[in-house]
Amino acid sequence: MDKERGIVFDIKEFAVFDGPGIRSTVFLKGCPLRCRWCHNPEGLLRQPQMLSPKEGPPRLCGQEWEAAALARRLIKDRDFYEFSGGGVTFSGGEPLWQWPFVRAVISGLGGIHTAVETSGYVPEAVFSEAMDVFDLVMLDIKSMDDEIHRAYTGSGNALVLAQAQRLIKGNTPFIIRLPLIPGVNDSLGNMEAVARFLEGVPRLLRVEMLPYHQTAGAKHQMTGLSYSPGFDTTRDPKAHVEPFKNRGIPVKIL
Amino acid sequence: MTKRIAALKEYQWDKRHHAYRQPAPQVSGQYRKARLPDFERTAIRLNAALEAERPVLLPGELIAFTRTVPDLPMIFTQTEWEDIKARHTIHENGNVCNLSPGYAPVIAGGLLALKNQLTDSPYHQAMAMSIEAVLKLTKRYQALAKEQGDEALADTLARVPAQGARSFREALQSLRILHFAMWCEGNYHNTLGRFDQYMMPYLQKDLREGVLTEEGALELLEAFFLACNRDSDLYPGMQQGDNGQSMVLGGMTPEGRDGFNLLSRLCLTASKELRLIDPKINLRVNSQTPLEVFELGTELTRLGLGFPQYENDDVAIPGLVRLGYEEKDARDYTVAACWEFIIPGKGMDIPNIGALSFAGVVSDTLRAALPGAQNMDEVSRAVKEAIFARVGELVQGFKDIYIIPSPYMSLFFEGCLQKGRDISLGCEYNNYGLHGTGLATAADMLAAVEKEVFVEGLPVPVLFHALDQDFSGHEALRERLIKDSPKMGNDEDGADQYATSLLDIFSRAVEGHKNQRGGIFRAGTGSAMYYVWHGSELGATPDGRKKGDPLPANYAPSLNATLKGPLSLIKSFTKPDLSRVINGGPLTIEFSHALFRNEESIRKVAQLVMMFVRLGGHQLQLNTVNREQMLDAQKHPERHRNLIVRVWGWSGYFVELDKCYQDHIISRAQLGE
Repeated sequence: MDKERGIVFDIKEFAVFDGPGIRSTVFLKGCPLRCRWCHNPEGLLRQPQMLSPKEGPPRLCGQEWEAAALARRLIKDRDFYEFSGGGVTFSGGEPLWQWPFVRAVISGLGGIHTAVETSGYVPEAVFSEAMDVFDLVMLDIKSMDDEIHRAYTGSGNALVLAQAQRLIKGNTPFIIRLPLIPGVNDSLGNMEAVARFLEGVPRLLRVEMLPYHQTAGAKHQMTGLSYSPGFDTTRDPKAHVEPFKNRGIPVKIL
Repeated sequence: MTKRIAALKEYQWDKRHHAYRQPAPQVSGQYRKARLPDFERTAIRLNAALEAERPVLLPGELIAFTRTVPDLPMIFTQTEWEDIKARHTIHENGNVCNLSPGYAPVIAGGLLALKNQLTDSPYHQAMAMSIEAVLKLTKRYQALAKEQGDEALADTLARVPAQGARSFREALQSLRILHFAMWCEGNYHNTLGRFDQYMMPYLQKDLREGVLTEEGALELLEAFFLACNRDSDLYPGMQQGDNGQSMVLGGMTPEGRDGFNLLSRLCLTASKELRLIDPKINLRVNSQTPLEVFELGTELTRLGLGFPQYENDDVAIPGLVRLGYEEKDARDYTVAACWEFIIPGKGMDIPNIGALSFAGVVSDTLRAALPGAQNMDEVSRAVKEAIFARVGELVQGFKDIYIIPSPYMSLFFEGCLQKGRDISLGCEYNNYGLHGTGLATAADMLAAVEKEVFVEGLPVPVLFHALDQDFSGHEALRERLIKDSPKMGNDEDGADQYATSLLDIFSRAVEGHKNQRGGIFRAGTGSAMYYVWHGSELGATPDGRKKGDPLPANYAPSLNATLKGPLSLIKSFTKPDLSRVINGGPLTIEFSHALFRNEESIRKVAQLVMMFVRLGGHQLQLNTVNREQMLDAQKHPERHRNLIVRVWGWSGYFVELDKCYQDHIISRAQLGE
């Protein structure tokens, strides 16, 4: 199993936004969704690709790793993770798109805390299995409205909500993340709908809001993609926290 | 921060007190003509300088004394000085500097108690004249306070520094005056040392007796900190901000207890509230120091103050003991202006007397030895010989040092008064320290040569040709050297093993050498400003660095290294046995301000520092920077007057730095973006 190979586009040490304690985050390449606001467009394609930054020479983005080698690369800093209650986070792209590889890497991590940041847009069987493996799942809910979800990510939200239901009924601690996109999903109505959906769930640690940053567009050029977000990128999104606070759900703006 | 302190801060920030500054009166310089001994000239000049001072009280100030006559005439004529220079080694500008005076006994006992011990020997008379000069100016300040109706200040000045302080306020005022007069004697980089240790008894007494609350103590402390910033622009070292006003908090006491106390905490709070460059806070820690203390320190880091700088007792104390320092003295260590370990009241060490350019030695050695070398072992042997030879030359270079005597400063050092021997001639510890610059670049060069020449088979003449051409026409090779060779800082033994070995060689090379003052030589990992100097005189190097490019500051990765991140960086830089290179010199890490968008980052950064300590790091300084802000500050300095950065061992205002130092900080890797 440790001969599994995967494509990784970054390894970030001391990733402070990706779970508890001191962590390293692995960014896996490839994503089934096409969110218009995507902050990591270099993670969309599964295969390695050339990036052309504004300054400096073109560089290759995406490197093939053998699972055992990646596990060794991560576990070398085990002392930091254990001392601080941290660990390793898998992000992307959509990390569960490369689930057999990720699973193989985790098996080489000697039981340290692992977390995943996922869109949930993966087969239900994969998600179920992954839920049992990870110590913490961070799932995005981009919109409770199927039409809006489809319009801005390319796919409907049924699968995502089904995965959320799985988390709600399951035993894995989880965090729901809400990217806040101005005029798309930052309405009070959407927040009310999310909050109702999540009410009274013991394993839900908190809701995290990720306000849209105007810098998101900068990376698109490097990938050769045009950036046409289809929403007002100049206005700051609203962060309605009341629906969560009213229901006793911890909420945090990152 | 109270309204009073806020108002005083604003007053000073607007430099309104600069209006009181005046040129020195045209004194005849009688002391220069009269063939007087040098120590007597210093005393006469101190007296003249303090007589020229014009007492001023700033609105609302609690701790008085403001410098109004910045200029100090030289005690020698130009001819005399040329003559001295011809016969002696002069360290820096020739004055006593970079010491940690023993304030505690003087604050406790008062200057008059010292004066009573003086005989009528000429040297003691110079000490007496200095004491009198300080007390005369204090009297004039006292009269002014009385005249302006500030009874509390007048009462304080009636007591100190003539007599021993009885309260926290008296102790702070006494320290302010004692410290103020050191600058007027011509001494510089006058550090504040273990402030929380020697001032705590006064605070404790006041709190016990109920004459002061913690809030009241914080206000007094902030008033003192403000006083430290009042004249510090007059005391530039190599750069504005390099004024040596370091302060050390926490750490083991000489008796072996943990010294972190309420006052340490209040100092961190004062610094956090004031957000000014002085005093420059150091925090002594060890592997048992609780997380909370590191979190308090990280609060300052988050503000971008560039301090606290951390010192690890677990490494520094045994390292100093190994060098021959008494254990109780080693436990009492403090830092000089930047980071060199020194002993308060006992050390006349000159910890920055010179520097070994690791990058220069390795570069030269590769030129000489690489063409004939069959393998890396031969190269390494040549490097070792070259370092021993270079250190051998360096230690021969500091003969017959002359330092301008300072009878007043000598009052703060053990034995000087009793023996009638000036501090400039030595004290209990008289060791010389050598910095080691460009370590990472040197290690990277060796790693690159190992990989490219001995593994990949790059012909040596091709490498040399590329270096001679400054990589022009050899861009692909340069790219490989930068991207594909191991770099120190990435937790790869390919480069780290060379750094470990270079430091080990350096520490062995200084062993056994004695200096003329009976002291030894200490090897270190600092760079001071040599990172710019040594870089500018060095051609292109095999790690891909171009001709003239600067070396990393202190103990840090090369500027061209692509770093994996803070975890690997700390792993790399804690591999060597740092207790053997305990002249000092911190690992320097730049964090992006974006890291601190997350409140949890305080705890996480604190944990990172704790791991550095547990892994055996000796010293660490952290910068929180914003590249865009720095670039904008270069274009619009007027908009960024309060932007603070850590330069090489001190925090200064970015807009006041020479451009080469600004550019260096901008080009350092920012982690946590």
